[in-house]
Amino acid sequence: MEHSQTPSSPSQIQLIRDLDTTSGYWAAVWTFCCLPDVHVICDAPIGCFNLVGTAVPDYTDAIPHIDNLTPSVMREQEVTMLGTAGAVRRAVEIVRVQHPNRRLIVVSTAESEMISSDHADWLSKLEPPVPFYWSRSLEEDEWAGRDRALLWLWHNFGARHGNTVAPSAKQVNLIGPTYGCFNAPADVHEVKRLIEGAGGHIGLVYPFAARLSDTPRLAESSVNVVMYREFGEGLAQALGRPYVFAPFGVRETTDFIRKLGRLLGTEDQAEAFIEQEKRTTLQPLWDLWRGPQGDWFPTTEFAVVAGRSYAEGLVRFLGDELGMRPVFATGRPIRPGEMDNLAVREFLHKRQPGFVFGSINEKIYLAEAGARATHFIPAAFPGPIVRRALGTPFMGYSGAVYIVQEMVNRFYESVFNFLPIDTIQPTGPVSAPVAPPAGRVAWTDAARARLDSYLENIPWLSRISASRDLRTQIEAYALRHHIAEVTPEVVESALQRASA
Amino acid sequence: MNDLQCLLRKATRRTENSVEVDVVEIEIVEVETEEVMSEATPSTETRTAAPHDVSVSPDQALTPQTMCPAFGSLRVLTRIDGVQTAMVTDTGCLYGLTFVTHFYAARKSIAAPALGTQELMAGNVAEAARAACEEAARTPGTKLVAALSLCVAETAGLTEEMLPAQINGAEVVLVRVPAYAIHSHPEAKDVAISALLKKFTAPARPTDAQGVETPLTYDQPDTQPEDLSRKVIMLGEVFPADPITVDAALKKMGASLAANLPSRNLDDYKIAGKVGAIAALHPFYVQSVATLRAAGVPIVSGAPIGAEGSYGWLKGIGNALKLDPERVEAVAAEERDKCRALIAANPLSGRIHVCGYEGNELGYARLLVEAGAQVPYVSTSIDKSLYTAADEAWLKAHGTIEVVYRKKLEQDIAALDRYQPDLVLGTTPLSAAAKERGIPGLYYTNMLSVRPLFLSAGLAGTIGLIRDALSRAPRYQWMREFFTGETTAVITPQAINTMD
Repeated sequence: MEHSQTPSSPSQIQLIRDLDTTSGYWAAVWTFCCLPDVHVICDAPIGCFNLVGTAVPDYTDAIPHIDNLTPSVMREQEVTMLGTAGAVRRAVEIVRVQHPNRRLIVVSTAESEMISSDHADWLSKLEPPVPFYWSRSLEEDEWAGRDRALLWLWHNFGARHGNTVAPSAKQVNLIGPTYGCFNAPADVHEVKRLIEGAGGHIGLVYPFAARLSDTPRLAESSVNVVMYREFGEGLAQALGRPYVFAPFGVRETTDFIRKLGRLLGTEDQAEAFIEQEKRTTLQPLWDLWRGPQGDWFPTTEFAVVAGRSYAEGLVRFLGDELGMRPVFATGRPIRPGEMDNLAVREFLHKRQPGFVFGSINEKIYLAEAGARATHFIPAAFPGPIVRRALGTPFMGYSGAVYIVQEMVNRFYESVFNFLPIDTIQPTGPVSAPVAPPAGRVAWTDAARARLDSYLENIPWLSRISASRDLRTQIEAYALRHHIAEVTPEVVESALQRASA
Repeated sequence: MNDLQCLLRKATRRTENSVEVDVVEIEIVEVETEEVMSEATPSTETRTAAPHDVSVSPDQALTPQTMCPAFGSLRVLTRIDGVQTAMVTDTGCLYGLTFVTHFYAARKSIAAPALGTQELMAGNVAEAARAACEEAARTPGTKLVAALSLCVAETAGLTEEMLPAQINGAEVVLVRVPAYAIHSHPEAKDVAISALLKKFTAPARPTDAQGVETPLTYDQPDTQPEDLSRKVIMLGEVFPADPITVDAALKKMGASLAANLPSRNLDDYKIAGKVGAIAALHPFYVQSVATLRAAGVPIVSGAPIGAEGSYGWLKGIGNALKLDPERVEAVAAEERDKCRALIAANPLSGRIHVCGYEGNELGYARLLVEAGAQVPYVSTSIDKSLYTAADEAWLKAHGTIEVVYRKKLEQDIAALDRYQPDLVLGTTPLSAAAKERGIPGLYYTNMLSVRPLFLSAGLAGTIGLIRDALSRAPRYQWMREFFTGETTAVITPQAINTMD
């Protein structure tokens, strides 16, 4: 694994490229608005409302818009003179009439925090009082923001009633997805399948498929599954029951099912489920492992830029279990020593592994580098992508099979694209020059070493044909220039001509 | 709650604003469920007092319809070759705008400084902006760096003087687009274009010996290079085929098109002050028009849309360029007659709402009315101005009942129920609301991007698209019935294509 960190500029201003992690305000809206009996009023200029409520979730969550979100619409007069209380009050009064069965929550934004619009006091005096959520949008990122928003929901709408509830022995909550969580529907579907396979009953999927009024029922479950390492653990701890994280890959998923079996007292059922899965869901992995496809794994290089769970999960499964080679992996929220986007961009401009799992940012960096032999596989937001089908999980046994299936099919695509073709268009691409007979041009050892080091930067599967093409080009160049022996300088000149 | 229940519940939520009796029944079930589940929802109001009967007056409408205004600027700027952007804003804003820019505007990496409470409190905004501009300018081939100052930076105070005029030979332009002050997406396009024009267009008005500007007159001696004096620049985003058909018509009149702004070529902005005429196609380019007018360039407003519009526009261009009136009349009359023949052969019939946020809805509505459609309701995100007056008067004289500026979603939805249109061209939330009622709905922005609009060629394409959309009503009705259980009472008479 190669790590690098972009040095901060001399003035201590930290620079960002293509921000991949949004703010506490987005986290609050995307968490609260999952609950259909909530209506959020955001104390926002029109842009903050539109981006979080329509423009982005159109393409992350594939929904027309979030329909339980209303802006206060601060304008210049609110920012410079009036403050936003009047605009918020008007929105509260109208929404309250329009949606009498929704619980209002007023949420601050970066701009409202910038002008210190704290409405907690007067909102608390309304009848009924309206809770105010200070989203810490100028400090908190989306992960910490979601974690705190979930805890806030529990403390304000669950704990008082929930603490009197006795847990049901085999009931399991799934704590995690909100709007804006990559691939959540498929992962939730798979994790629910695993929980039920291990002998559990599904309690709440919170907040993704719950109502605010369900919140006290979080206490009914005896075990909690936390979908992501990035957020949700805070709520699991507050609930005070045992919790496990949703698993990636074969080994971790097997451990997950066994652990659930122990916690629920359903060990036998869990073991039987694992045995059954080996012969059904997981059978393709065993078949691909034994087949010729498995031979590609040791030479397959991959890189990951994704949420913490996905980044670490993919490295554990593809790297540790299947033996592929992680070139770099960097999770979000970023940890000290991990590559930020400036470093990722710099890396991908120089060298492109065969597979890159990431967001639209990595896709852009690969495009900037003209990388044609690298397969980009979406694995994170930001980026417009529909991930609503239930059959595309990354987590669990189904996820393990799905990821490998995706990768193998892209290998096939590479093979297809490298095979010779006679196009029906007479003006089609000119075929590569025919190689001069072997041995007509001599190579020095240093020249061979130079070619090898150049090839190192080309993804492995493409290397064979690239090696052939480059040798042909360099020798043709040498012959044209009446050079009897290929030296590193000749390689250099020929490569420069080839890339020009 | 299982996935199906969740889906059903979400479908129920979406129908909340409609008036059907069976919806109310479904909602009553929902209320009972809530009461059984917990007391977390404190409302004591019953659903019979629900807001369905509350008519939506403008003072009750809360939700302005526009893409984040700042995106208008980003879209224009990031698409120009050699322009790099530095965004000065908070992380939530940066995330959303980067997302939509990468999706809709340009596959360009975007630089920004990290701006949190710490940096804002320390007064580091200018320093941060400079650092981001320097980072942006590092991209090879950078000709211009656009520093976008958004809500938080504007509130903190960022001015042109705080930025260098150039970095490594690249011009630096400050584009100020706080969403609280620029109220719509199209107006921010104007801000970006006028910022570039101001940079590149020196006022052409000569001064007398005392340094006093001589009065502007279009009859002053033409000192411009001959090749530009008979050329037109169109100002306004258009479908890529439109400039080609316009250029062909202009050539027949003895003129031609020099460029279309916004353009991918920075040089097009540099010649804008020197051409024979500027055609301001859309009514919101107020600042850009003022800048060019100050540079002494004649302005032609309106667009070559429909029979009357095309005729009048071509005549206007002929006048501004002082072309041969007979030749101009012949070309203009030919286009008008072609449009009329197309309409006679394929007239539209049906009721259509035009409710986008692009700022050019009035012109589009005129075309539909000319082609035979009823357009009782038109709404747009921009404000009423001198430049919207002609189109509004024309529409009102041809049967349009309401033209709404700075519209809100609630107004557009109320109009759906008031006029019962056969087709809605709207924002994504409005189109979704139309589809929930079984009415064909299209995202107006998408409509503009799939067909030409100008002259007879554009008219033919647009009428074809609208006729096709009107014919699809049975599919929308079937989908509505399947997902909501509600039937659409009236089958629209335009339905010429059925599901069998």
